[in-house]
Amino acid sequence: MTLPDRSALSRRDYLRALVAVGGASALSACLSENDDEAVDVPSGTDDPDSLPSRQHAWNEFLSRDDDGNVQLPEHHVLVALSLSTEPSDDARAQVEDALRALERAYEWSNEGLVFTIGYTPAYFDRFDGSLPDSVDLPDPEPIVGDADRFDEFDAILHLASDHPEVTLEAEQGLFGERDEFNGRGIETDLTGVFERVDERRRTGFVGAGLPANHTDLDGVPESIPDEAPSLMGFRSGFAESQAPEDRVTIAEGPFAGATTQHVSSMGLNLRQWFEQDSQHQRVQKMFSPEHAEENAVGTTGEKLTTTNGLTDERIAATEADASDRGVVGHAQKAARGREDGKPPLLRRDFSTVDDDRPGIHFLALQEGIEEFVRVRQAMEGTDLDVTNLNNGITGYIFVNRRGNYLVPPRSLRALPPTNPTETE
Amino acid sequence: MDHEIDRRTFVGWGAATGALALAGCFGEGGDENGGERNDSDGEGNETDENRDETVDVAPPFPEIEDKPDAVYVPTHRESMRALEPIVAGDYRLAPMLSYPHPFWLVTGDGEDDVQHVTPDQMRGVHMMFTLWDAETGVVLPVDSGNVVRLSRDGERVGSPQSMWPMLSQEMGFHFGDNVPLEEDGTYTVEVELPPLSARTTGDLAGRFAERETATFEFDYDQDFRETVSDVDYFDEGRWGERGALEPMAHDHVPYSRLPEVDAFPGTFLVGTDESGEIREGRPESTAELPRSGDAAFLATVLESDYRLTGGDGRSLLVSPRTPYNRVPLPNMSLDATIERDGESVTAEPVSLEQTIDGEYGLHYGASLEDVDLRAGDTVTLTIRSLPQVARHQGYDTAFLEMPPIELRVPEDSDDAE
Ligand code: HEM
Ligand SMILES: [Cu+2]
Repeated sequence: MTLPDRSALSRRDYLRALVAVGGASALSACLSENDDEAVDVPSGTDDPDSLPSRQHAWNEFLSRDDDGNVQLPEHHVLVALSLSTEPSDDARAQVEDALRALERAYEWSNEGLVFTIGYTPAYFDRFDGSLPDSVDLPDPEPIVGDADRFDEFDAILHLASDHPEVTLEAEQGLFGERDEFNGRGIETDLTGVFERVDERRRTGFVGAGLPANHTDLDGVPESIPDEAPSLMGFRSGFAESQAPEDRVTIAEGPFAGATTQHVSSMGLNLRQWFEQDSQHQRVQKMFSPEHAEENAVGTTGEKLTTTNGLTDERIAATEADASDRGVVGHAQKAARGREDGKPPLLRRDFSTVDDDRPGIHFLALQEGIEEFVRVRQAMEGTDLDVTNLNNGITGYIFVNRRGNYLVPPRSLRALPPTNPTETE
Repeated sequence: MDHEIDRRTFVGWGAATGALALAGCFGEGGDENGGERNDSDGEGNETDENRDETVDVAPPFPEIEDKPDAVYVPTHRESMRALEPIVAGDYRLAPMLSYPHPFWLVTGDGEDDVQHVTPDQMRGVHMMFTLWDAETGVVLPVDSGNVVRLSRDGERVGSPQSMWPMLSQEMGFHFGDNVPLEEDGTYTVEVELPPLSARTTGDLAGRFAERETATFEFDYDQDFRETVSDVDYFDEGRWGERGALEPMAHDHVPYSRLPEVDAFPGTFLVGTDESGEIREGRPESTAELPRSGDAAFLATVLESDYRLTGGDGRSLLVSPRTPYNRVPLPNMSLDATIERDGESVTAEPVSLEQTIDGEYGLHYGASLEDVDLRAGDTVTLTIRSLPQVARHQGYDTAFLEMPPIELRVPEDSDDAE
């Protein structure tokens, strides 16, 4: 494993590069980098029942921005997992113990660690029965005629923290490459049950100033705003354009308390976006033509508070904007997928420079995958009379792969069977 | 903007000094609209120490003062290298390469919506391709979401991208962009073409339903740079004159020229002249067609037995084109309102659909099945959104302000069913 060159990078950049590289030597480099500021990571709880019953219950524990919107942790790792044994009670106990060790070691927060483990349809295929009707988890498919590669390994662990070294330490501790989580000895890890699928490991970041650290890379122009929280430059995830956690939770059946997760990974063309389009055009294409006309967004979205400013009228005007102005906004189009005026998706996407290329790992939670598909189609806007590069941001994103997951409730997070009530 | 240069200062510049001269000429960033431009490196220069200066060969881009709001003669003819056309399913694609040069993006319909784009850097190419139907030779001027990926020695170069739909006088309609290339070498370009998104008729109907991929290679080196930057400038007195350059002649590559007016069937709607008088007779050439924003509009009513109408009453065909080279103007949104004695004949304006036909190429059409159109009726074409297509020099000030066009159903056509 080659470590990034410390002297060539800023400190934040260096830490990001270490998370992307992963591995034990990356961790020790990361820790020594932090020696001088000795990050103090709050520890977790010995009482597992004090934690929420849903794995995806993060919001209540995460920090807020100045406007009160939930602020995702800054650093993310998606660890792709493949089963190395058949699910058994012993294996389940081992997985549960390993995950509890994380909860004991790190506070469930931005400063500590939040995580989920989700399972693919391919994972569930090994069981005789099928998933109950209350779980909508089809095999991933091309949605808009784009990606034809899919996540077909068994599970994915999503680790997120404001401290890059926490995500690294957690991952390595789970795979026997560390003896301690946040100063506590590790008794049980995941080895023997899961192995990592290295080629599918993904990393990323979200937060003001982080994208602008990567302008040393070929595909990331200098012109990205310093304060931009994401690679395309704008804030997202306003309270009013996100589904609450309740909305994305499966309410009934043996998997009550679960959610479904879609992960799509895509490349971005930031050269046309930042070097050719004007800010006016970017706002038109990201939000709506009216946002641009009224100067409602600012450089990175600082003029917006808890809403992206999309009123019912602006959403309903999408088709007319296509015909009358020849351009429509991404958010405006995607909001056509709201149900009864409410967004059905809880987006927890983050930017990435995996393989030194700009991209997004788009992670969304929803009650059923069908809802994701519907919103994604609304976002594609093939029904609109508008040319490709004026059709929101669809001409700037290039989807590489897709995966669907079930994120079970905490009580079933360790190797769930297809129908828990029957087998338990 | 005042950074146009006196022609005398650059005539005679050799290839070796091109780079330095260039840095001086667009270091200020040239934004016609006074909007901000994102200079790639803040300093706007191309003088990395480890670069061989002679590679940054490129002609300068003088500004033209007082451009008309119309099609005009640019400063020079472009020089380019044409590659062999490629077959990809029903599609034919001809790649063409030139040096990076400025162009104008059009996104929307307001004055802020035209963006002057200057090249990020002079190392690289202006990459273009023309796409057409192998059977009919009709150029396909709609962007259904093309994706271009570049590689060199098996390594990906840059991010994937969609090429802008573009108009140029010499190339006609094409897809293109300035693509930066850091290194000399042989590049492989993969162009992914999704199914055609526009309505198709005639020999094109039901085709282009598959996603296709075309691949080509080219060499980027000093020889290439010198060839394509060997550009002759016109006499400065001609810059900005109304008119257009002749299309470039390429063997085996069709130019997106629409048929002349006499090839179109049906009853032509007639325009009024400046004093509001109806122009008599059928126009004989594109030059005689009514204009809006300098685009020439052919509008004809086809009888119900004609192929394009499908037997359900009459239909309206509108074929907007550039005034000299007859290049189709795609990605517009057009409505027709029909009035008789000052009263509207239809409840709603009739909206026209962008269509590509094997014989008439790109046009906008609508069925008039529910409209009892009569001689003397006024048909007003409203351009709801102007052609959303990037422009090379000479088309950047035309087709931007497009007022409605008032037309009349001529008297001698009162032979409706
Ligand atoms: C490069 C990728 C993407 C970027 C940079 C991006 C960015 C944004 C931004 C800035 C907003 C407006 C702020 C907000 O409401 O949060 C937004 C809204 C939204 N985006 Fe995306 N997005 C991307 C991809 C996607 C994808 C793949 C989907 C899938 C369906 C999606 C769905 C949505 C939805 C549902 C909304 C909110 C609409 C509403 O208010 O109801 N986005 N996005
Ligand atoms: Cu071009």
